[in-house]
Amino acid sequence: MAETSQHTTAAGSATEPGMTRREFLVRSTATGAGVMLGIALGPGRLGTVAPVDAAEGMDAFTPSIWFTITPDGKTTVHIVKAEMGQHVGTSLAQVIAEELEVKWDDVRLDTPQESAENFAVYGLAYTVNSGSVTTEFDRLSRAGAAGRMALVSAGAKLLRADESDCYAEDSRIIDRVSGRSITYGGILQKTKIDRKFSYPDDFKKVPLKPRGQYKVIGKSIPALDIPAKTTGEAKYGIDVFLPNMVYGALVIPRTRYASRVLGIDDSAARKIPGFVKAVKIDDSTGKCTGWVVALAEKFPAAVKAATALKVEWDAGPYATLGSADLLREYKKLAQSTAESAAWVLEGDVDQALGQSERVLEMEYTTDMVCHATMEPLNATVAEVNGEWHVYVGTQSTSFARMTLTGYLAKILKKKPEDLKVYVHQHLVGGGFGGKQDYDEILAAAYCAREAGRPVKLIQTRESNFATSFPRTPTYHRLRAGLKDGGLVAMNHDIVCGWMGPRFSVGKKYGSDWLQLDAVDGTKRDIDQWSIGGSDHWYDVKNNRVRAWNHDPTTWAVQASALRTVSNSYNMFVVESFMDEVAHALGRDPLEFRLSMLNGKGSSRGIPNTGYPPGTGSDYYMDQLWISLPWPKEGTWIPYESTTVGGALRLANCLRVAAGKAGYGSRPLPPNTGLGLAVSSAEERQSPTWVAGVAEVTVDPKTGKYRINRLSIAMDMGIAINPRNIEAQIQASALWGASQVLSERLTLKEGRFEQTNFHNYVPIRLSQVPKIEVEIIQSGHHPSGVGEPASTVVAPAVANAIYNAVGARVRHMPITPDLIMAGLGKG
Amino acid sequence: MPHLMINGQSYYSDSPPDTPLLWAIREDLRLTGTKYGCGLGLCGSCTVHINGRAQRSCLVPLADVPEGALITTIEGLHPSHDHAVQRAWVELQVPQCGYCQSGQIMQAASLLARAPNPTEEQIVEAMDGNLCRCATYSRIVNAVKRAGEILREGLTNG
Repeated sequence: MAETSQHTTAAGSATEPGMTRREFLVRSTATGAGVMLGIALGPGRLGTVAPVDAAEGMDAFTPSIWFTITPDGKTTVHIVKAEMGQHVGTSLAQVIAEELEVKWDDVRLDTPQESAENFAVYGLAYTVNSGSVTTEFDRLSRAGAAGRMALVSAGAKLLRADESDCYAEDSRIIDRVSGRSITYGGILQKTKIDRKFSYPDDFKKVPLKPRGQYKVIGKSIPALDIPAKTTGEAKYGIDVFLPNMVYGALVIPRTRYASRVLGIDDSAARKIPGFVKAVKIDDSTGKCTGWVVALAEKFPAAVKAATALKVEWDAGPYATLGSADLLREYKKLAQSTAESAAWVLEGDVDQALGQSERVLEMEYTTDMVCHATMEPLNATVAEVNGEWHVYVGTQSTSFARMTLTGYLAKILKKKPEDLKVYVHQHLVGGGFGGKQDYDEILAAAYCAREAGRPVKLIQTRESNFATSFPRTPTYHRLRAGLKDGGLVAMNHDIVCGWMGPRFSVGKKYGSDWLQLDAVDGTKRDIDQWSIGGSDHWYDVKNNRVRAWNHDPTTWAVQASALRTVSNSYNMFVVESFMDEVAHALGRDPLEFRLSMLNGKGSSRGIPNTGYPPGTGSDYYMDQLWISLPWPKEGTWIPYESTTVGGALRLANCLRVAAGKAGYGSRPLPPNTGLGLAVSSAEERQSPTWVAGVAEVTVDPKTGKYRINRLSIAMDMGIAINPRNIEAQIQASALWGASQVLSERLTLKEGRFEQTNFHNYVPIRLSQVPKIEVEIIQSGHHPSGVGEPASTVVAPAVANAIYNAVGARVRHMPITPDLIMAGLGKG
Repeated sequence: MPHLMINGQSYYSDSPPDTPLLWAIREDLRLTGTKYGCGLGLCGSCTVHINGRAQRSCLVPLADVPEGALITTIEGLHPSHDHAVQRAWVELQVPQCGYCQSGQIMQAASLLARAPNPTEEQIVEAMDGNLCRCATYSRIVNAVKRAGEILREGLTNG
């Protein structure tokens, strides 16, 4: 099947005669090049509910090929996940190598080209949600084990040994009776392998190692992508050169979104040596609105020309909008409770609040932040003999291809299936959710068409900020019902700009793709990415979360996903508010949290449900997103749920972090406090359990503060590569610190006010606290580690500031002036 | 100043004299290890050595490159990429996305050339201008110290 599909042009017909869609193969290729292991599955639900501009190719038959062993004895693991700092290729290869019994020195990685044909072979290339290990672990383990089974059979025959006497180790099959052995390379040189497994029946019966016998998993193997990142050899999208290419620089549009170009005066630009032309980008698909790109023979000339071009715009509907307007409108929207959509609804909140001895009510707000990846967005596109080739570092080569295909089909008036689009993936110079939009690719392709030459479009730092896809601003209103010394009811109202509509999520936006309905019977849309994290793991009997979308925000700022998505603000709000509740009750915030992280009620996890027969797609999105709000007991998920254990695992993390920090037992300097927080990012149905303690010293005269120390404890089940996990936790904790300290993007007259790293301020080395990390290996299914730690830092810092000087700041970022206001000195 | 001596190799750039050295290095000469990050000297991704001193190549127009100046980029830091800083960076597994790391390494190498046994304060002062959006800072500090050790061991061993 695998080799057939590679030579099949129509992805949807990539079935081999006689093979069902419920089988997978371990097989030498027709050319004898090696053994490939692939899985063939029916079309996923995505096939019918793709985003509007990304529908092309989604109905494809979608097998995956995980690895290829060649007769030279090397095993190449095919990684369609983006390398953007998490070293995912190394981790996934470790999982395969473990069960395949391949020597680590024999392991290579490659990055398949994205095309309609390869999409059918390698599956969806999309790297988000800290989900790579969670979703791939079981499949890759079984794939590796199945490969090993096939090699043991073939090796036993060649050794003329009994298969049951043979075992695999270090890329060899060994006959334990005679002691003779043959290498994987030797097997492939001498014989062909052709073994079929049914799916899921044979697949789930593939014997896996007891976790206690792991040799490769759990080892801190150096990341395979690191050496080239110290020598200048690592290639990012921005490092691409094509013959005869021309450079593109963007003229910063009048507004972030929906400006319309009325006219271009290029008289000054034409005087710049090397200027080629100005291109008004076709923005009829709603992408690249108001974009004009200056093309020149060299990039600095393109930048100069972009500055020299006089463009006249119709500034569109958001021309006067500013951050203060948004907040005002959010507060107004939150008054119309009848218009809300409930995301969590347990017990009777209104009644319980009514019967409370005291109701604590607070408002919280958070500002926009943006990804500001060190590698600015860029794309290089060439049209070669009717084929379109894209060179880029992106979080999804698949969506990049589909989006460009849809765009080209529209502007060239062609059928999508008649277009050949290829995406050549590169290293991603920082992703954080910021490289899953494709505007640069569309614009570069359009320019390439206009110029008749390949185009390398690079965003300057300034145009990169101006065209950011930020996290939405948010407004929160919380109420807590206190009674008998405890929290009996909680209501959390959230207003923000949902990102879903930009991806056509929601009935109102033309699709039910990844659509969730409100749980209050209203059938209103819910955008989980904008609300998630408010569905916390505390056992609160009467609990409600209501949400409103402020639609103009979505479009005006182009709201999007930023590392941990809505967890980054909802955890700040929930964990700050929980602290407020504890203090209001006169209880210690640690003791209070532990009492409610009891594993009961909504704080219990979901047991492993295994593989029910006849369930279709293995798609990540099916598993994690469509089966929301979270899988009910009995719902199929294709691996052990990471929710197993529920809030008890969170409580354990909290105890460990508190212990590491010396919470309650250590003398502290003046104006210094410890603050706690827990988090279950990424999504409720795919949590990684994490707790953090921040030690902060505040200067009560100025409100300036310093984070002295962060203690983080994380339970990710199985630690595939502990040293890398430590790095991910340390660095993502600092990402969280950066957000609470100083990151802020603001809107004024429809534009972002920040332009470069002097007025958009990420954390620097001099601000880095001591960070202690405790990796808790509970032995459960592994979950993602690249993001969750970032969510506990902001609330832990806020809570520490309160404990240090008594100022409660209900806004992120926490600036000195807000602390002074909290001290009554504002 | 279109004639450039980079990593011991002479080059000619046909870019105009007001072109930042960064773009001549990256796009004309295709030594892409030197990265564009901000264009204003705020992030340090473009750090190279000019006559042995770490400088932001985005701020130096070609016209201001001194005649005969010896320019070193990440590609030329060590003939076999085995500079103490590079070794320490791999040993301590510093890079994540890696985009800023050429600049970090060049900055650290410059510091250690001046102060092979830097104090924590010296490290912070020298490295504070280099942004890392992945925030690999904790490992950067440790790797600078480790690189100093490697350098000093090298000196001791003659």
